Amino acid sequence: MGEAGERAGSPRRQLLRKAESLAYWLVGAPLVASLPASLAYRVACWRGDWTSRSWPEKRSEMMDNLHQVLGDELTLNEAERLTRDLFRFRSCEVIDVMRLRGRARSLARLVEIRGREHLQAALAGGRGAILCTAHYGSHQSAFSLLHASGIPLTTMGRWDWKYDAGVSSVERRFWNLVFARRVLRHRQRPHIEPWPGRVQVAAQAAAALRANEVVTISSDAAPLHAERARAIEMPFLGRQARLMPGVITLAQLTGAPILVAFVHRSPDYQHQVLEISPPVPIDGQTKTAFGRCAAAIEAAIRTSPAHWNFWFEAEVLARLGVLPAAPPIGTAALSRQPADG
Amino acid sequence: MEAVINDYISREIVQDPSLLPLGNETPLLETGILDSLSLLRLVVFIQERFDVIVDDLDLVPEHFASVDTICAYLRSQIGKGAGQAGSRG
Repeated sequence: MGEAGERAGSPRRQLLRKAESLAYWLVGAPLVASLPASLAYRVACWRGDWTSRSWPEKRSEMMDNLHQVLGDELTLNEAERLTRDLFRFRSCEVIDVMRLRGRARSLARLVEIRGREHLQAALAGGRGAILCTAHYGSHQSAFSLLHASGIPLTTMGRWDWKYDAGVSSVERRFWNLVFARRVLRHRQRPHIEPWPGRVQVAAQAAAALRANEVVTISSDAAPLHAERARAIEMPFLGRQARLMPGVITLAQLTGAPILVAFVHRSPDYQHQVLEISPPVPIDGQTKTAFGRCAAAIEAAIRTSPAHWNFWFEAEVLARLGVLPAAPPIGTAALSRQPADG
Repeated sequence: MEAVINDYISREIVQDPSLLPLGNETPLLETGILDSLSLLRLVVFIQERFDVIVDDLDLVPEHFASVDTICAYLRSQIGKGAGQAGSRG
């Protein structure tokens, strides 16, 4: 078996993982999410621990990723704890999505929104607001919650599972059914997907901002091959990473202020805090201005590495330039969870 | 008009010097010269320079395929604006 095959595990184990993931999203999580929160998230953590134990190849890949990027900052025990939390968080995020039903009140009770006043002050300027964020924590559910709380919000980002050649149409329909449908119910406009060739996407974001709405952009997205010429290299997680500074260009063209937002899960796994910053200065050259956003993202990752979803995706880390070499081929789509990137 | 648009794209948007000088018929989308953000920059420039508001529904590849098609689109919009002004007057 090649290295990629070793990382993915035997075909039988891959199939079992897919079946388990399918059952969790379709049946397990909807049922578990209706339990009292303390019990629901405890069950999600057990499931995360089970996934971690039953997927040693992925666990070791993630430990490698953590060690290669964070290096000597991490002891072996810390790396093991972070890896365990990554699996637990991922499992809890499914419960978050399920708790978005109705007006999302069952999730709203568990998530404190800090810095809402910064967002409201930004919107008072009449030019909309951009929330610069990352693939960090339960960000899609948190933004659904923000919209459900009365902030007109639209998300922008790529959902790889919709376009990845390795994902079958059945799998696409599955993720649409269990994930996209639930989070997109709480959006002002349809999700904006910036794929190469879609020339209207920035204008769609600008239209939302002109209507004094909020647009979220994950600025840690790895550039695609076709976008490399527009990526800028800058220090990020100890290396010269390639990042897309589109958030700055959009802000400069529309006059919308940029605020950064991250959602953190508490040590009890059930409560979360969505923290929104005051506006970030966007003066100076694009690289300088974007450097402030990148620094905020890096600070969030270093403060709590287990919240960053990309530790699961060595291929994405390599495209970003925070891993030195191209990693083995990724694993099957149903073995991962949808993320925009 | 062609010279103004060509000059703006050449100066502000083209990142690969090997694509210069830019022909008025050079494909802007297929060559990657225009992406969604640079198109937005161009639209802002067009609004400021020619006082033409580009409707979001008009942001289609056919109108922005080359300098020539951009100018053809702009002329149609300017003509439409003049027609509406004329019918009002």
